[in-house]
This record gives sequence, C-alpha cells and structure tokens, in this order.
Amino acid sequence: MCGIIGYNGFRNADKVLIDGLKRLEYRGYDSAGIGVIGKNLKIYKEIGEISKLEKYIPKLDGDIGIGHTRWATHGGVSKENAHPHLSGNNKIAIIHNGIIENFQKLREELKKQGVKLRSQTDTEVIAHLIEKNYKGNLYDAVFSALKKIKGSYALVVISSDEPDKIIGARKESPLVIGVGDNENFLASDIPALLKYTNRVIFLNDGEMCIIKKNKVKVFNEKNKEIKKEEKLIKWDFKDAEKSGFSHFMLKEIYDQPETVHKVFLGRVSEIDRTITFPEKVENIIQDVKSINIVACGTSFYSGLVGKYFIEKLTELPVNVELSSEYRYFGTKNKDSLVICITQSGETADTLAALKEAKISGCKTLVITNVIGSTATRISDAYILTQSGPEIGVAATKTFTSQILVLFLISLKLAILEKKIGADELYEYILHLKELSKKVRQVLDKNEEISNIAKKLKDSNSVFFIGRGINFPISLEGALKLKEISYLHAEGFAAGELKHGPFALLTKTSPVVAIVTNNSTYDKMIANIGEVKARGPKVIAIAEENDTEIEKHADFVLRYPSNSNMLSCVSISVILQLLAYHVANFRNCSIDKPRNLAKSVTVE
Amino acid sequence: MKAVILAAGEGKRLRPYTETLPKVMLPVVNKPILEYVLDAVIKSGINEIIVVVGYKKEVILEYFKDYNKANITYVTQDKQLGTAHALLQAKKHLKDSFIVLSGDNIIDSNSISKLIEDKSKYSILIKRHSQPSKYGVVFLEKNMIKEIVEKPKEELGNFISTGIYKLPKSVFKTIEDLGSDGIYALSTVIQSLVNQGEEINTIIAESWMDIVYPWDLIKVNETMIHELPSSIGGVVEKGVTIKGDVFVGKDTKIYSGCYIVGPVFIGEGCEIGPNVCIFPSTTIGDNSVIQPFGHIQNAVIMNEVHVGSQSFLKNSIVGRSTIIKDHFSSINGSPTVEIEGEFKKLKNMGTMIGDDCNIGSSVVIDSGKIIGKNCKINSLKKIMDNIPSNTKVM
Repeated sequence: MCGIIGYNGFRNADKVLIDGLKRLEYRGYDSAGIGVIGKNLKIYKEIGEISKLEKYIPKLDGDIGIGHTRWATHGGVSKENAHPHLSGNNKIAIIHNGIIENFQKLREELKKQGVKLRSQTDTEVIAHLIEKNYKGNLYDAVFSALKKIKGSYALVVISSDEPDKIIGARKESPLVIGVGDNENFLASDIPALLKYTNRVIFLNDGEMCIIKKNKVKVFNEKNKEIKKEEKLIKWDFKDAEKSGFSHFMLKEIYDQPETVHKVFLGRVSEIDRTITFPEKVENIIQDVKSINIVACGTSFYSGLVGKYFIEKLTELPVNVELSSEYRYFGTKNKDSLVICITQSGETADTLAALKEAKISGCKTLVITNVIGSTATRISDAYILTQSGPEIGVAATKTFTSQILVLFLISLKLAILEKKIGADELYEYILHLKELSKKVRQVLDKNEEISNIAKKLKDSNSVFFIGRGINFPISLEGALKLKEISYLHAEGFAAGELKHGPFALLTKTSPVVAIVTNNSTYDKMIANIGEVKARGPKVIAIAEENDTEIEKHADFVLRYPSNSNMLSCVSISVILQLLAYHVANFRNCSIDKPRNLAKSVTVE
Repeated sequence: MKAVILAAGEGKRLRPYTETLPKVMLPVVNKPILEYVLDAVIKSGINEIIVVVGYKKEVILEYFKDYNKANITYVTQDKQLGTAHALLQAKKHLKDSFIVLSGDNIIDSNSISKLIEDKSKYSILIKRHSQPSKYGVVFLEKNMIKEIVEKPKEELGNFISTGIYKLPKSVFKTIEDLGSDGIYALSTVIQSLVNQGEEINTIIAESWMDIVYPWDLIKVNETMIHELPSSIGGVVEKGVTIKGDVFVGKDTKIYSGCYIVGPVFIGEGCEIGPNVCIFPSTTIGDNSVIQPFGHIQNAVIMNEVHVGSQSFLKNSIVGRSTIIKDHFSSINGSPTVEIEGEFKKLKNMGTMIGDDCNIGSSVVIDSGKIIGKNCKINSLKKIMDNIPSNTKVM
C-alpha cells in the first residue's frame, strides 16, 4: 500500500508532486520518488520521508510527472526498489500501488528473454511488459501489458515518447482523477488534490484513463470509452492541515465534540422522536434475522461494541469477525445482514470479505468515512460517519463515530423490531445529544491525563481490562497505545485475567481498569484487588461520582456519567489521550508510526 | 504588513463563561469575538496573521481549523504575564512594522486601514468612552500621546486606548529591556517610549466594542445581530410565522406554530417548537433544542442548549450544553449587582446561566443572578443568589 500521484498541467510538476506526496505520506513512508518530463524524462528517488527527497531534487521545469511514496511489500526498503520504475530503454516510467501475484513467473520469463531487472519489486516487471507491448501508442501498450498481470493495482504511467499524457489504470487499489482547469491530476486519495481542485472522478475496478492537460478520457474493461460523472468534494483543503496542533492525532482527538454531532446531523430528531437513514439503508435493515459485522483493526473493535448495542437493544444475534478470516472461513447466510466497517472504504481485506458476502447473496451495509470509496460503490447500502478526513494513522474520531453509527443502527433496528417504545427512544436521544458535552469535559482533563501518562511511559507492558462493553474498549485502548508508543500493550476481559495473563503481571506492568457503575462493579473491584496483590500499579477509569474507587486503585481518571451504553465514548477519548501523551513522552513519531500506514489496501 | 492578534488571556471577569472558553472565543451572534477581529483585519488587506494563544488554546485551534481566509500562524504564550510579553512571543515571525490587536475587542476594518496607512513610526487607535476609568486613559498633546494612565481611580479624560497599535520591529528592544525588570504590560512599554521622546500618533477608531462583564454579551449581541443577513436554511414547517430579519442555519427544523420576530439568529442543527415564540434580539447557537410553548426574548442561547417546554427566557444568557427542564422562568428587573467590590445598577436584566448546567422543572431564578458552570439545580427551586460553579442545589 502506497501513495501515488500524477500531474499534467501548467504548474511546475515537481512542486505539485511533492506537495501531494506529503499529503499521502500517511499511506506509507519507507521511500519516495518522482519522475518528471521536461526536455527528457528524469527520475529522483530517496529512502525515508518525503522531506528528504525534497531536499535532494534540483530545480526542474517539466509540467507533467508522477510521484510515489512507498510502503514496502515486495522487495526491501532501498533506493532501487523505490518508485518510479523505468523500462529497459528508460523511456517509460511507472508508479504502482498494489500487489502483482504472478510477478515471480513474469520475472522468470523476462529474464529468459534477456531483460535486465534492476530491482526486486513486482512493479518493475510491469514497466518492462509495457515496453515489450509498445507499438507507438502508450495507452494500448498499458492495456495489453495489464492483460498478462494477476493481482491488484493502481497504476500510473508516463513516457518521454508521448510527453502530453498520463495513463492511469485501477484494479482493487484506489485511484481518483482530479479535474482542474487546464490541469488534471491522478492520486490515491483526495487530500492530495484538494489544494488545487475539489472536482473528482472515481475510477472503478478495471477502468483505465488518459489524462491530458485539458482532457480526461475514461475507458471500461472492454476498452470502450465511457462517460463518468464528476463529484464535488465538500471537504475543505484546510481539513488536511494540523492548524496549530502539534500532531494530526491530537487535532483529531479534539475534533470529537464536533464529529459526534456530525453523526446525528439529519438522522436524529428529538422532537419527532425519529432515527432516519437514507432509503437504501432503511430498506436493507427490514426483516433482519441475524447480523455479521466484518472489519479489521480499530473498526473491528468498534464492531465488537456494536454487537453489545444491537444484542442489548434488539436481541438479534450478532457475530463479529475479522475481514481476513471471514472472507475465507465465515458462514455466509443469505438471511443475514453483513455490516462492513472501514474508515477509508478501501481496506483490501474488508473489500474482499464484502465481495464474498455479496456473492453469497447476503445483504451488505457499509459504514465508512469516505464517500465514493470502493466500499460505498460495491455494497447494497452505506452510512457515512461524516467525520472529515482523518490523517493520523491511529484512528480516533472515526472510531467514536463508528460506534455512534452502530448505536443509531441498533436504535433503528429496535424500533423496527418493536423492542423499544417512543419514550425509551426519547431517553436515548437525550443521552446522545449530551455526548458532545461529555467529550468536551474529558478534553478539559487533558493535563490530568498527561500526568498519568508520565507514570506509564517507562513500563514494560501495559494491560487494559474491562467487562461488557468496556472489553472491546480495553482492546482498542491497548491497540492505540501499542501502535503509537511502541509499548507492549494488551487488552483483556477482566474476568479472563486469572486464566493465564496473570503470569505476565509484574511491578513494571501497570494495569488500566475501566470501572463502570453497573452490575459488574463489585467484580471489577475484586479484579483490581487481585491485580494489586501481584505488584502492578492500577489506574482506574471510573465514573465521576464513584467515591469508592480511590480506596482500591493507585490513580483514578474520571469520566462524566452517561447512560451505561454510551459512556464508552468518553472512555475511548480518555484512552486516546493517554496513548497520545505516552507516545509524546517517548518521542515517538505519532502521526506516522513505524511500519504502519493509514489505509491498508493490500491483503 | 502582518498583524499580531493577542488571544492568550483568560478573561476572569467574564466567568463562568470563560471557565471553559478563552475570552476571545465567547460568541457574539454565534461567532467568536476573535473571528470578528480576524475578519476585520483581513478586510483591511492583511493576510499574514500571527495569533498568540495560551489559555485553553486547543479551543481556538480546533474552531479555526477550517478558517482559510488568511495565512494564520499560532504561537503560544505559556504563562499569561502581560500583553507585551504576549507580543514578544511573535517576535521571530515579524520583519518590519506590524499591527497588534487584542482578540477580544470587536473592531471595524476601516479603523485598521487608517492605522495601516498612517505614516508615523508609532500609532495607536483610541476611542471616546463614557467610563474611561475601566481602561487605559490616553492624554493627548497635538494628537500625540502625552501620557497613558491605566485604570485611574477617578473619571479622568475622554479617550481610552483600544490596545490596537502600529509598531516598528524595534519596539521589541524596549519590550525586552522592560521585561528584564518584570514589566510586561504593553501600555507601560508605550509610556516608556513616550518618556524616551518617541512620538506616538493617535487615530480615532470608528467602532470598537469591549466585553467586560457577562451581561455585556446581551448588549453586544443586540448591536451586532443587525449586521446579519436574513436567510432561511433547514426546514420551516407550514404554519410558522416569520417577521423581520431571521437567520436559520442548515439542518435546523422549525416546527409548526412558531412565531418569530427578527432580528433573530438560529444556528445549525436546531429543533424549535412546535409553538415557540422568539422575539428580538435573540441568538440561538448550533444544535440547540427549544421545546414547545417557550417564550424567548433578547436572549443569548449558546450551542447544544436544551430548553424545556413552557419556559420563559428574557434578557438572559444560557451557556453551552446546559439543560433546562420544563416551566423555567427568568425573573426580569433592574437589580444592583456587586462586582469587584463595586455596586452596579443593571437595567432590564434576566439571569445568566453558565455552561453544562442541569436545571430541573419549574425552577425560578431572580433577576441579575449568575449561575456558575456545571451546576445542578433540583426541580421547584427558587434561586435568589449567585450560585458558584460545580454546585448542587438540592
């Protein structure tokens, strides 16, 4: 999974490419490179972040070019393996995001034909194939070359023989066209283009395009030219900037009082006592017998929270499965509704699972943050989290928004199943409307949370425990901490601790315990006692009016009371800030943690 | 030319509203004061702005994240020592002459333009004021400053300093010299320049507004709401009467039977009605709900507020995220309030309720009383005194 960009227009291409790559850096940052056609085709590559590449590029004067930021899959991190890759005659340059599955075989064939390969990548193979198929028309050469390729790709090609055009092709990896005036763009994701245009065309699987300065042509799989609709993107260019915050992650955590509201906008009416979704969604959730929630990473944990909501409010059985497992092993019952959760709408594992579910005849519903993403186009219906772009690799605001979308779905299902009355619904709506305030009150405790984080920063391991809905919240808390602070962290159901994990407890492995005032309160207090007896310090996350907890835990962080089901939103924000501050104290690269990338578009 | 906007202060006299927001973020017609200042600065032709933030800076950064009319750089003043110290934080971003303004006074763009065009090395915007003793009083000699007296005990002079200056980069030398003696107020720095024989030209500002006490929010709202264009977004049901200039934000729903007389501002994502009467000059912030049969008049209702059915709110303020249950009543009168050891007579005053409060059914609050932030008042209570923040009235 990598970030790619192409530019054909009137500006200095290298400036546009570098600027765009910086906005795509969240997709990978092992190495980067650009190729620009001026008098001739020139390629520059460097290992490391984009800023390193930028320093190394001399003044260039071409106005057409391509750029790439890499997250290594085939072939290690090296200058040779960085993109763009050149054909044997050095006339064709290509950049690629995805994985070519039959590349070993193709490599052997090329070698037999005497082609000298310069890198270990799957991408270079495509460059040579295009050269072999070149008979004076770059588009035709790319089309023929792609016939021999198995796998996924978003591909962008330029040639010094045809310096007026860029060829793009997409299959299972994201690629959008940005349409400007006398300039056009190609990119993996919208933020790379927003500075220049908000008019975009989404390419579907199998489609190819020719990008000229003042013309865009799109072709379908059968090589027939098709008309595509331009979409206007409402995001602001500013949304993709840190605007004074030290990290995108912190900015996105502070976005949450607002993003919480955005989930309800146009969906929740207090006075009418209604929850409204688009018609397609309303139709698909009628007569549901069972539900499968399918997702990866943080989205998977929000799915687990969703299971608690739906089962509690509707008694419908819910199975939550990891996309990469469900795809091959999940039971795909025709009567069940499959809810796929993916922030980017491009997560390869989840898309594969979604396709499998569709083939099996399941009804499919997607929860995503990105309109026009692949997931929204191949599912039966979708609900947007409406959170605005999320740049920090660690998901924050989209997690809480996903949880709230799932809560709205469970309320809607409960109404349809006649499990709750109008008055109970009204109570829930009031609780929902208070959430923004609760989140704001947690943000006001930022300093207090930072002080606790100081105590965690030198731990060997940190364990998170909770019961019920707070079990998946513990898993998410641990995931946040490990992904950005590189501390070992695990989440457990509090009751499971004594069935094994106890062996890991030492003085240097503090335990974060989420304690809520419900029927499991006494059990949690007992768990805290068991933990403390074995040496670790305990940090309790407890309700603001809990006066008992100080007697049991070493440190306490408070969250404002809300309904038992919805307090998990405030608790999540505390855990996000905790992870953020620990990572900050440990001087970690918070927005770009090592080895990780934002949207995982490889399987 | 660049502008520096000082936005680091807390605004203690505006508590409880400044317990959760810095003073510059207090809303006037649903827009923070700082946004008025930024808009005016930009309108005067400046597009490089340095904002000095400090107290609750995240609130400012978060709100202005989508603001793209100018290039804004934020610098942080960790301790709020004084205005000159705040300005010093912006030093490295400045090359030559610049404008400095405070982020908590609404100012018009014409006055800023005049300041920019003025050829003097130093110049200041001043304003005639009926109660100069609350401010830095400016004494003049041939249009130049002779003396600035901060908050004189007696009512002296006519003109006050607006705190808006045009200064040369060399001013930082004086700021640093005085700073080493522990002097951090910009007015003292200016006085010291006068003493050194520098000439400081004065220009009279056209319109300049300060918000000192909570009740000023009602007054300023009343003045600024007239600038608003009327526009109806969202859904207005059949049977709603709208007269005069009324602004309704997108995704807001006004239910049948409401009677609204402008100027009235209603933000985004609100639900109003059925059968609510709203009279001039009322502002209702975003995502607020006014339940059936309410009467609201000359009130400032901030974001995410919930007003229960049959409630009466007049000449009053309700802070963010406060929940008021049904049958609330704000008593109106002309109370005498004690503030900073002085007694002050207010006219036509209702009540002022802080952020995050939870007020039960049938509560009555006396005229001029201030309820702190995050208070809980049980049903059927009659409140005759100010209530400090985080209090429960059982």
